[in-house]
Amino acid sequence: MMSVKLAFRNVRKCMRDYTIYFLTLTLGVCIFYAFNSIDSQQAVMEMSSGQSSALRMLARIIGTFSVFVSFILAFLILYANGFLIKRRKKEFGLYMIMGMGKWMTSRILMWEALLVGALSLIMGLALGIFMSQGMAVVTAKLLGAGLGSFRFIFSSQALIKTLGCFGLAFALSLIFNIAVVQKQKLIDLLYAAKKNEYFKAPRPAISVLIFTAALCCLGLAYKIVLSDGFIMLLNTIYIPVALGAVGTFLFFFSLSGFFLRLLQQSRGLYLKNLNMFVLRQINGKINTAYVSMTLVCLMLFISICTLSSGMGLAEALTTEMRENAPFDATFSVRTEYEAASDTYSGIDTAAAVSGRGAGLSAFAAEYVAARYYVADATITLYFDGSETIVPPNFMKLSDYNAVLALQGLEPIALGPDEYALNCNMNTREWQDMLRDYASSGAEFEIAGRRLVTDPSKLFTRTLEVSPNKEFAVAAVVPDELLAGAPVKKDFLHINYPEEGGEYESMCVSALIGFEPVGPDGVQLDGGLETRVRVLEYTHSATTTIAYIAIYLGVVSLLLAATVLAIGQLSEAGDNAERYGLLRRIGAEDSMINAALFTQILVCFGAPALLALVHAAVGIRVASGVVSAFAEMNIFGSSFIAALVIVAIYGAYFLATYFGSKSIVSISARGGFRNE
Amino acid sequence: MSIILKTMNVEKYYGNKGNLTRALAGVSFDVREGEYVGVMGASGSGKTTLLNCISTIDTVSAGHIIIGGEDITEMGHKSLAGFRREKLGFIFQDFNLLDTLTVYENIALALTIRKRPAREIDRRVKEVADILDISDTLRKYPYQISGGQKQRVAGARALITDPTLILADEPTGALDSKSAKALLESFRRLVREKNATILMVTHDAFAAGHCDRILFIRDGKLFHQLTRGNDSGKLFFDKIIEVISLLGGDTNDVR
Repeated sequence: MMSVKLAFRNVRKCMRDYTIYFLTLTLGVCIFYAFNSIDSQQAVMEMSSGQSSALRMLARIIGTFSVFVSFILAFLILYANGFLIKRRKKEFGLYMIMGMGKWMTSRILMWEALLVGALSLIMGLALGIFMSQGMAVVTAKLLGAGLGSFRFIFSSQALIKTLGCFGLAFALSLIFNIAVVQKQKLIDLLYAAKKNEYFKAPRPAISVLIFTAALCCLGLAYKIVLSDGFIMLLNTIYIPVALGAVGTFLFFFSLSGFFLRLLQQSRGLYLKNLNMFVLRQINGKINTAYVSMTLVCLMLFISICTLSSGMGLAEALTTEMRENAPFDATFSVRTEYEAASDTYSGIDTAAAVSGRGAGLSAFAAEYVAARYYVADATITLYFDGSETIVPPNFMKLSDYNAVLALQGLEPIALGPDEYALNCNMNTREWQDMLRDYASSGAEFEIAGRRLVTDPSKLFTRTLEVSPNKEFAVAAVVPDELLAGAPVKKDFLHINYPEEGGEYESMCVSALIGFEPVGPDGVQLDGGLETRVRVLEYTHSATTTIAYIAIYLGVVSLLLAATVLAIGQLSEAGDNAERYGLLRRIGAEDSMINAALFTQILVCFGAPALLALVHAAVGIRVASGVVSAFAEMNIFGSSFIAALVIVAIYGAYFLATYFGSKSIVSISARGGFRNE
Repeated sequence: MSIILKTMNVEKYYGNKGNLTRALAGVSFDVREGEYVGVMGASGSGKTTLLNCISTIDTVSAGHIIIGGEDITEMGHKSLAGFRREKLGFIFQDFNLLDTLTVYENIALALTIRKRPAREIDRRVKEVADILDISDTLRKYPYQISGGQKQRVAGARALITDPTLILADEPTGALDSKSAKALLESFRRLVREKNATILMVTHDAFAAGHCDRILFIRDGKLFHQLTRGNDSGKLFFDKIIEVISLLGGDTNDVR
């Protein structure tokens, strides 16, 4: 099997030449696998339902990002492959001149692709599996979950996903390579190194057209995302993502042509200094540049989005969750039997609790019992134009005021024909919806009396200690109307004499797992949530989100910067020759350096600018998603994210500029050839 | 006619103490304004070194080179760059056109880096392209035109800045004989119509046959001079061949 042998040696040669390529691929596979396997890390953790739901949320977020990531990694493979193949055209020519057929050459390529693919996949997966073991420990710690006995974590789902994604990308690059060999003439292959690549950049007029199309695509994608908001994110996110990707691609495909056209209109500017050289320089390299710029733009977009919204989300959750625990503890009791719910009349929670452990008075300085009742009335809200019927929790006015008093809040007053609404969400969307409802003078009938409300009877108090803020509306009505109504849930809200682990542990040991017995001897469902535990969950969940966001964001940022740097480096030879020529025909050093600076600035700046616009839209949507359960302040975290991005990206930019500058100035010496 | 270029006992040594190579061993000659001078010599005779020294790309070890009244061997690094930009035009064997630019832009570049106004640039490019017969190719890219056209574009780029002296290194080296002939004729026209001064290094007796005067270099010294005077092309060419056979070696370069 000569082709296998040749392929093997070629790959070994490539290993040396393209360490960065392999490294990036391997890391790509590793990270892709590790993050997609986060779901299966549950196997080694002992966690509560709240924690496991936090982990599931994390897995879902990562799943969504994996769609982008897989696109990006596929791009990266094709892009790096393009460089590999370009450098090796002469080698293929040599094979052919030695009498090897095109199919034979293609077979070598196929073996190579298999080897390269297998090697980076195996290395990446090994690293990924290793990393996911360690990640499980970190995840458990951040979530505040306990670690069970050690078990080897392996996610076949993540493996299949990784193999599928990368296998497809490798197959694509193989097809691309074979097409190159099949299509090319021997002479072109042999002289590929000498001949510059003459890509037919689209005519400037066509560029203008494509540029317009690109802007339309992007505009449409933005419009869909902004107008439909996060509702559609769940189902049809692929449409704006595809539009955005295509738009970005076309944007960079036509960008230089468009500006070439624009600047050519102004002779004064075009024929000034090295302007036209710089423009042509960028335009001439368009065939490799537009792919890398698209890639870099998408990666930067992800980086900016994850960094700023991830940190923003973490911050938002922390502040919101603090408000989620208005008391030290809430013990709730409800009946498990749906059938009995019509007649269930509740229990005296305080009395039931008194018999437990050291007794209620041992850890409760003050407590309030309150009830949610069931009544035959609903309120109708309009959410994004669609009607939603919400059955509120009914509360007696005296219960409601008692709960407020325990929080140190002023009581409210109601007329005999009035009711108040309390919503635990104080985000604008929900508030607007309720205000719309209240201002339409909505009324309902309860126990034969018609009740009305108005916007002044809208409140946003938190009525219980709960780790998850789920939308709930309480309708507060005069006491007498709920006399004899079936009870939905009993609450006992408790404040400790003072904050401290002693009272907390007393309370937990007394009430955790306590299932009181109802009036008819029915087993009831009891639940305890304490402020300490809520804050614990919150803390771990937010830390995890921030951690993932930073990790994913920085990785994609590094990836973006690396691709740009590789691109500039691989062009350094060609560029050095051109810049050397400029010097020989009399351009000043300062002018040449300015041109080089501009060229690299455009290469780094153009994707960054478009990514910023993408990110502005993306973050708006993201904060829309977050605002469903917390108000997000994006500015603080955006600032930190911007600092991180500017630092890393800027460092890469400067390194690339100074690197290119030294390459260019070395080659600039030497005049007429001495042959 | 004034003297544009004057070299006085130019010497150039390469290497270090242990191993010294003498590339130029005292070369002196003058080139007058509007003169078309060829420099011939075998490989290693020192002709490229001479050209590099005159073009300010390399420095001399001893002697003086005076171009347009200025002694370039006395100039500093900064003023040399300015001098090169304002006074000299270069034509290279391998054209050295920028593949990313059109013919028009390649020529215009020489003026844009000298910060000339755009209106002047446009006029001058068209004028020069006309003289060198490349007006049809202005919108094309280098890869779309022939070698001879490329070299004429390089010539146009060298000429457009109105240099005191145009230095050409084997300009026909990469051309077929037909393109070479067209190029050499356009050089003649430059000299005739624009009163340009050209110093051309060449291997090619045929190319040298177009010059007014030929300097022969051997072992770093001026070996012989030939002046066309009123000789016919045929007679001048035969004389060149004669000297080349005296120089030894390079007769197989005669086409």
